[in-house]
Amino acid sequence: MNKKVLAILLVVAFVFSSFVLAETVNLKFLHRWTQEPDKSFFEEVVKEFEAMHPNVNVDIQTVSNDAFKEKITVMLGTADAPDVFFSWPGEFSNRFIRADKVLDITSYMLEDGSMFEYVGSQLIPFVYKGALYGLPYRLDGKVFVYNKEIFAKAGIDKAPETLDEFMEDLDKLAALGMKPIAFGNERPWAVSHYIAAVNQKSVPEDIWAKETDPAVGTWSDPGYVEALHIYADLIPYFNDYTNALKHDQARVAFMQGQHAMMYLEIVEIPEIERTGPEGFIDKIGVFPFPATDGPGNQSYLVGYPEGFLVNSNTKHPEEAVAFLKFLTGRQMGRLELEMLGWFNGIKNLVSPDEVKPIVYETTQLILNSDKMVNWLDSSLHAKIWAVYSVELQKLTDQVTTPEKVMEAVEKIATEVRSEF
Amino acid sequence: MIKRKPLYILNKTWINAIFWILMLLIIYPLFWMIMNSLKTSTELFINSFALPEKPLFQNYVDAWNMGFADFFLNSILVTVSSVAVTVLLSAFCAYALARLDIKFKNLILYLIIGGLLLSPQSALISLYKIFDALNIYNTYFAMIVPYIAFRIPFAVFLMYGYFKDFPGDLEDAARIDGCSTLKIFLKIVMPISKPIIAATAIVSSIFTWNEFIFALVFIESEELVTIPVGLSRFRDALQTNWTGMMAGIILASLPMIIAFIFMSKSFIRGLTAGSVKG
Amino acid sequence: MNKKKYFNYLYVLPAILFVLVFVYFPIIMNFYNSLFRMTSYSDVKTYVGFKHYVKMFNDPIFYTAIKNNFLYAGFSILFQVGLGMVLAILLEGRFIGKKTGTFFRNTLFIPSIISIPAVALLWYFIYNPQIGLLNGILDVVGLDQLKTAWLANPKTAIYSVIMMSQWQYMGYIMVLLIVSIQKIPKELYESAVIDGANEFQKAIYITIPSIKSMLAVTTIITFIGSFKLFSEIFIMTGGGPYNTTQVLGTYMYRAAFKFDEMGFGSAVAVVIFAITFLVSILQLKSFKST
Repeated sequence: MNKKVLAILLVVAFVFSSFVLAETVNLKFLHRWTQEPDKSFFEEVVKEFEAMHPNVNVDIQTVSNDAFKEKITVMLGTADAPDVFFSWPGEFSNRFIRADKVLDITSYMLEDGSMFEYVGSQLIPFVYKGALYGLPYRLDGKVFVYNKEIFAKAGIDKAPETLDEFMEDLDKLAALGMKPIAFGNERPWAVSHYIAAVNQKSVPEDIWAKETDPAVGTWSDPGYVEALHIYADLIPYFNDYTNALKHDQARVAFMQGQHAMMYLEIVEIPEIERTGPEGFIDKIGVFPFPATDGPGNQSYLVGYPEGFLVNSNTKHPEEAVAFLKFLTGRQMGRLELEMLGWFNGIKNLVSPDEVKPIVYETTQLILNSDKMVNWLDSSLHAKIWAVYSVELQKLTDQVTTPEKVMEAVEKIATEVRSEF
Repeated sequence: MIKRKPLYILNKTWINAIFWILMLLIIYPLFWMIMNSLKTSTELFINSFALPEKPLFQNYVDAWNMGFADFFLNSILVTVSSVAVTVLLSAFCAYALARLDIKFKNLILYLIIGGLLLSPQSALISLYKIFDALNIYNTYFAMIVPYIAFRIPFAVFLMYGYFKDFPGDLEDAARIDGCSTLKIFLKIVMPISKPIIAATAIVSSIFTWNEFIFALVFIESEELVTIPVGLSRFRDALQTNWTGMMAGIILASLPMIIAFIFMSKSFIRGLTAGSVKG
Repeated sequence: MNKKKYFNYLYVLPAILFVLVFVYFPIIMNFYNSLFRMTSYSDVKTYVGFKHYVKMFNDPIFYTAIKNNFLYAGFSILFQVGLGMVLAILLEGRFIGKKTGTFFRNTLFIPSIISIPAVALLWYFIYNPQIGLLNGILDVVGLDQLKTAWLANPKTAIYSVIMMSQWQYMGYIMVLLIVSIQKIPKELYESAVIDGANEFQKAIYITIPSIKSMLAVTTIITFIGSFKLFSEIFIMTGGGPYNTTQVLGTYMYRAAFKFDEMGFGSAVAVVIFAITFLVSILQLKSFKST
């Protein structure tokens, strides 16, 4: 009698567990933060999501930043592709969208109104041909971070607002016997941020907006050459060995007080607080790239959010999108603030007294900008950027001219257009 | 015969001096690296020549915890398994070609040793497609399998030469006693062949421990990464732990150096037996 | 009796399978793939015939890459084989005691067993213009006008990488030659000494001719090794500055994984294969003739 009961119980248990097991959803989640504190943040996000959805198991995969740009293309082509993955919006993501590898999440975001939780300007980067493909995880913008003490010593009492003022200030700083701007361009994404700023200011908005489309862009507007002249004028004020230094090596020199300013991403400010000398964080101020008198829209800010996309081939779109929403939503946004000192794209996430003034000030810059200009390297077709970046390094070493740079860019753009 | 005056430079002091300078050129950079790996990042940037204020062994602990422990384990796993299989398969193969009766013996031999002519780099892209199709991309197998395949030619080459020179009496005696070929191979030949097996294992280990390009391309997840790739990825665009990376470099080099110091004879025999650089 | 013969084939079968499937087959696939345009994340494959090869042979960067490989080969043969031979002869001569000789030999050998990424990163730091060892030393000895960004200066970049490799491998080749020298029968030297030959003459007339075959072998493996170059360049310069340090290996990687042109990358792989295969055949031929 007992044996029979046991047998029946076992069978029931088997059937029941296979039901539950059959329901277990496995999601692959790929991000690019192999180091702390971000690594722990994502682990926490996954833990909380799994707690809320007991039948979902999320597998985290990490690939470090420099390798990521090359690896992601390869990974999306394999059977092992992630369900939810990190990406930079712009051409970097668009080519995946064109190859039908990204899920259109417009309907998911509209059906429960969650789309309106996000700051509009931070969703726009993830829109392609009228549909929404991803959600922002981290706001970012590029500004000049300057050392107020050094500025004061040079007799500068306020941050420059126009290019002319900026050039005057640079001369005053150079008179102190230093190279005013810290800049490490060993990996040329660094110069792409400068060029994004000057390009967009020197070229009319409607031309610039279409230029990054590889099927259409010609790069023939004279404004691009003018932009490079503005950049070239800055070169004498950069530190030595610009192309030989890594970005963070230059940043250390800046934090040591060897230079007056550095063009940095706003997300680096918590990093400065964490690794910089005692009290340095209170000495700094920020200002966006100064306005020029060029034909572009001067109120853009350089910087695009980073975010996550869903693989269109995912076997579990509902769960994947739910995870995406959770990862970039309000609850995790608060956690992000707590653990990383940084913001995601949710509206009114934080009040001014919750963060250091410098952090609040800079994020307001982002939230108040009309629109953002994407980092140049992720907005361009890979081949165009390959040529552009090499030419820019030559320009930084002062072995070529702005005219020759744009000649080379126009040539490769023509070649790329023929592929479409 | 007239005794020519020896060139001025060819005397004991000069020659020894030249060698000591070479020693300096080799040892000092390593010393400089070790010294800097014990500093804080700030100290490093202020003066890279100075001795560290306080030796920061914590850097090594950090490097270990920050992922180096995983790289190390992965390297050991991949190296041990691929070398074991390589030696095993190559031993069987080399023995058979050297001492057993097989048709097309020479063709097979040339085929396998011909593999030495083919560079791993050329196979990179095709292997990537093959591994994806087999669904082993981004797994340990994606490293172990090609390592075995590309090491077999050299291993067979090494062991073939050794087995060919083997005196046949032991085997004949055993065969008369009724032992099967397999038994002869396993119980008699292999135990005596320890030196060549060791040499083969060592040479194959050096290759797999230090291999870079396959490990770079076939592996995506940080969790599976081996030391060479881990080292080069031990940094992120916006945050680099410089001194940690230096500690990592030292950690990565130590195992091989220590192994060499204890087993230099075997190393050199293995490397010179075939005189072919991996 | 037949059963036994078939059983014997089992001995060689696994090895053959591995080599055929994972070494030979991929190389053959390369030829096929090089005629198409394909990316890694899309399943579309377009036939383009020999277009990739035409583009490659018209690309100045391709020629820079080949030039760098040859440059590398030249320097390597000069330093690793040439200088390595001199050092080997000296170490085996009577000017250096056995114990110190072994110490010198082992120390010079050690860099060759450190993994390339470790050596590349070590030298990356040495060459760093701000905090590196090299510029620091130049400062100390008063030669600071020679300071430069060694890896970012197009004039010095490739040579900086080349010299790093010499540092790493000179000891390795030297050891190979030492072993050969040790095999030379002592009687040859004895008769020379009776004739009144000095060290220099002994080296030129006896040692060097006796290790001819090893010299040939080391020259060829150094040459082939120069065409397999990848990690050093990849880690230290990424092919820069302005693509001046590209070599065939990095050129292929760049095409396949940066530009996502797997077809073009396969074409480069075919070229790398052709060059290394031809030279390897040379090695076999010369090995057979000695």
